[in-house]
Amino acid sequence: MNRIKKHPVIDTDKPAGELEFRFDGSNFTGKEGEAISSALFANGIRHFSEHPKDGMAQSIFCANGQCSQCNVLVNGVVRKACVTPLAAGMDIRSIKGLPPLLTDDKPAELPGLEHFDCEVLVVGAGPSGLAAAIELAELGFKLMLVDDKPSLGGKLLLQSHKFFGSEEDCYAGTRGYDIAKILENKVKTHPNIKVMANTPLAGIFKDRKAGLYIDYKHYGLVSFKALLIATGAREKSILFPGNDLPGVYGAGAFQTLVNRDLVKAANRVFVIGSGNVGLIASYHALQAGIEVAGICEILPKINGYKVHADKILRMGVPVHLGSTVLSVEGDGKVERITIAKTDQDFRPILESAQSFEVDTVLVATGLSPCDEFYKQAVAFGFTAVKAGDAEEIAEASSAMFGGRIAAINLAKMLGKNVKLDQNWLDKREVLKSRPGDIISRNAPIVSSSWQPVFFCTEEIPCNPCTSVCPTHSINLKPRKGNMLDLPYFKGQCKGCSACVAACPGLAISLVRLRDDGMAEVRIPFEFDASHFETGARLLALDQDGKPVTEAELLAKQYNKKYRSWLLTLKAKPEDAVRIIGIRVQDEEVSRPLPVPSFKYLPDNAIVCRCERVTVKEITDFIKANKVRDINQLKTIRVGMGACGSKTCSVLLPQVFRKAGVDPATVTDGSLRPLSLEVPLGEMAEVLEGL
Amino acid sequence: MESCDVLIIGAGSVGVPLAMYTAKKGLKTIVIEKNPSWGRGQNRAAIGGIRATHSDPAKIKICQESISIVSGLKDNYGLDVEWKSGGYLFAAYNKETQEAFKGLLKIQKAAGLNIDWIEAGRVSELCPGINTDGLLGGTYSPEDGYASPLMTSTAFHRLASEAGAEFRFSEKLLSMKSSSGRIVSVKTDKEDYSAGVLVNAAGADAAELGSLAGLDLPVYPDLHEGGVTEPCEHFMEPMLVDIRPDDKSGNYYFYQAKTGQIVFCITPKPQIWGKDCDSSSGFLPLVAKRMVKLYPRLKNLKVRRIWRGAYPMTPDGLPIAGYPKGIDNLLLAVGMCGQGFMLGPGLGKILAETIDAGSNGCSQIFSELSLYRKFEGMELLK
Repeated sequence: MNRIKKHPVIDTDKPAGELEFRFDGSNFTGKEGEAISSALFANGIRHFSEHPKDGMAQSIFCANGQCSQCNVLVNGVVRKACVTPLAAGMDIRSIKGLPPLLTDDKPAELPGLEHFDCEVLVVGAGPSGLAAAIELAELGFKLMLVDDKPSLGGKLLLQSHKFFGSEEDCYAGTRGYDIAKILENKVKTHPNIKVMANTPLAGIFKDRKAGLYIDYKHYGLVSFKALLIATGAREKSILFPGNDLPGVYGAGAFQTLVNRDLVKAANRVFVIGSGNVGLIASYHALQAGIEVAGICEILPKINGYKVHADKILRMGVPVHLGSTVLSVEGDGKVERITIAKTDQDFRPILESAQSFEVDTVLVATGLSPCDEFYKQAVAFGFTAVKAGDAEEIAEASSAMFGGRIAAINLAKMLGKNVKLDQNWLDKREVLKSRPGDIISRNAPIVSSSWQPVFFCTEEIPCNPCTSVCPTHSINLKPRKGNMLDLPYFKGQCKGCSACVAACPGLAISLVRLRDDGMAEVRIPFEFDASHFETGARLLALDQDGKPVTEAELLAKQYNKKYRSWLLTLKAKPEDAVRIIGIRVQDEEVSRPLPVPSFKYLPDNAIVCRCERVTVKEITDFIKANKVRDINQLKTIRVGMGACGSKTCSVLLPQVFRKAGVDPATVTDGSLRPLSLEVPLGEMAEVLEGL
Repeated sequence: MESCDVLIIGAGSVGVPLAMYTAKKGLKTIVIEKNPSWGRGQNRAAIGGIRATHSDPAKIKICQESISIVSGLKDNYGLDVEWKSGGYLFAAYNKETQEAFKGLLKIQKAAGLNIDWIEAGRVSELCPGINTDGLLGGTYSPEDGYASPLMTSTAFHRLASEAGAEFRFSEKLLSMKSSSGRIVSVKTDKEDYSAGVLVNAAGADAAELGSLAGLDLPVYPDLHEGGVTEPCEHFMEPMLVDIRPDDKSGNYYFYQAKTGQIVFCITPKPQIWGKDCDSSSGFLPLVAKRMVKLYPRLKNLKVRRIWRGAYPMTPDGLPIAGYPKGIDNLLLAVGMCGQGFMLGPGLGKILAETIDAGSNGCSQIFSELSLYRKFEGMELLK
């Protein structure tokens, strides 16, 4: 079983009943209530179904209910494996070609429709939706808060890392899933909020109603006066040949499998994209005992926070800058990835190709807002606002302020006399800031009393170290005059190590001089250290992961609050101030194959995953038919699949460019309900006499 | 001023195939369309059925042509439009319907149509799983069928372009000038045109266009919604039509496309007039109830997408085709009443021939579909 039994920061002893299910006629065991996709992955099954167009193996891509790549037959009915909970005795089957329709000819027992009414329908209970709902409810609005997942919190639930931002404003230093619990409690106990979890929005309609797929079991309609759309973002797909192989999927999907469902989804991954999502996913992989062969980034510099990149480098994962993916290949599953350097026009230099043997490729090339409900609402003339990633891709800490701001704006639109706190706007701006400058620091002079050493050299919106210091001796040194400023120590350090444990970037150590002329350095370590023996010599690394020295482990302690180990090492004073990590991964893991092995066929990349339409098929069609309207691509089934072009729409501009057409001259595809499929029998209005 | 032989207003169900035929005849053809591409008015909302089994001789003749054209696109031009000759099946669940269908059979057979009454057992063979409770049988016309409207309009657009027709998209007609019984110029937001023949093929906008020429065209769009499910293995053959009304709807019909999806729509009761093509919340609960009652196994099939489109209706449910009195060069091809997709190819071919012949020929069709008819009654199989 590919289960994660031990994890340095996530509880692995969550109680869940074991149960039996069948997949294609064989018996397997899984955990009650987990997503079917997770149960299949845990049993080593990654090949879920076969596409009707060409028999290509199908597997997860988003694991988030968005893309429908993971469809399987569940007791005879097609279901998305990633949002269908496993139950005892389930008969799960691959779909090979077109699925058969269950020949159940008994008169349908129709559950009928549920009808609801509210003032504001808040769609999405991630950080922004939750924050917005609380704000609106406090203002006296009667709300419905719907979310497509069984637990509230959105992506907070997948975030096992400590939060950036500031402690007073957005729970910085607390891990995402703990923040989710705090906010969930608030909305569930508020008398003005009706919470419906596990209930995706299926569509909004011109008659000011929204369709809900309640508990994924029956359909309901809700009337509303206004909408607050906080539906988050989805991972962008990317074009390279082999982007459709089972084992290529989103970094978010990976976090779902690994962090939420504790499935060891891979043995060795390669990550495309060095934004925070890619960097954090890599870190999470390592924490889950999964090897990371490398990260590639098309830009010449790291795209995410430097502290996240530094962590990854220290763990032994190389980041290949200025590099792109040439191909992912394998026999029905990912077996290797080939990357190459790019020239100044981002074209690959084939001679520089390097191949790596991996079983999984994580796509972390950015997020695109899930804003289609908002767009439709505006087109319909409804009172609507958007918040969080649906509005602008940013950190969850910023999204919480964004939610509150959106709530106030909506309240104003609804005629409430409220004033927006300028402070919130400022905080949101700061929290969503891109990283500022890199500022060099001087190493401190080691003395006999403890003092912190900061490896935090890039301006990012973060300050938990300043609020956890019991002597208030860590403060931001004003440069920009906001949270982007870097922390500096001045005052008295008691050696409590709170700053070391709380720093989300693992970028603070404590040092002091010993009587024997050597120094002690205390560093954070978010991997299993229970097997480390005191007295052992560990290879200590500097900020970028370069070896400093073999240092003796003097002591280790586990900080329960921050779920982090604190390791105290002995080193020469000049070394001690440079030490901030211990290598986790063997260098062998990130070594390329001696000779690259790939075919470069970029036009074979899949654009429309649902209907398996390639770059070449689309560019040929555009040229032959002089297409300047995305709606016409439906002729070759682009966007006609279950996902409703959620995945391919972000790729189409570059495909038009490849066909020699300026995307600015192309009409957008029309947005129409439903945004997820609902069985006919579950949406029938039951009237008298039926 | 740009001049051409044929200026068609509307790149839709009628305009695009018509342009193909006029261009093929060597006539310089320009098509003006307000939408950014072809088929984006009512054509995109068609569900795809094409049948010749109507109750009116003119429509029968036109649609027989259409079937021959659409079913031949693959063999003649290598353009697959997913045509399937799955037949139309009008199911009868009560005596009155049965009698009405049987009465119509006489007219239909006299027009040379391949259609007959089939018993309930045969209905179940064609539609396995259909509710047989009270099922008496139905009329079945195996040569009718269905095709993908998207693929079909793209095929016609391509063939028309290849034949030399020019399409001007995102261009709006503003005014017309007439003189001594002819339209002498047409002004759009981009260009002025003069044309030998101007064709009003403007679908839901036909009446507005007519008024620019001083005509009062009785074409009033009403709104219908349609939908498509996820695909599944092939299990039903014909377009299945249930004409029984209930308190909120009239007839409804659906078929399984070649690619496996069920495509469906329903006639709302009362009719919804206008042009607002945004989806409403009531459609799915209404159509779902009726479909799963008629065909219980559909309960497990998931709806993928829905849409709304306009039926450019005339008072009697029949199209208007021909030249109005007093304007020699304005050809009307309007009021397709929701059947533009099935009428368009045949009508386009017939009209192109009359334009080419420079005549008001095709007298039977023009007289039956005349603007000056009485517009009485309503076609039974609308």
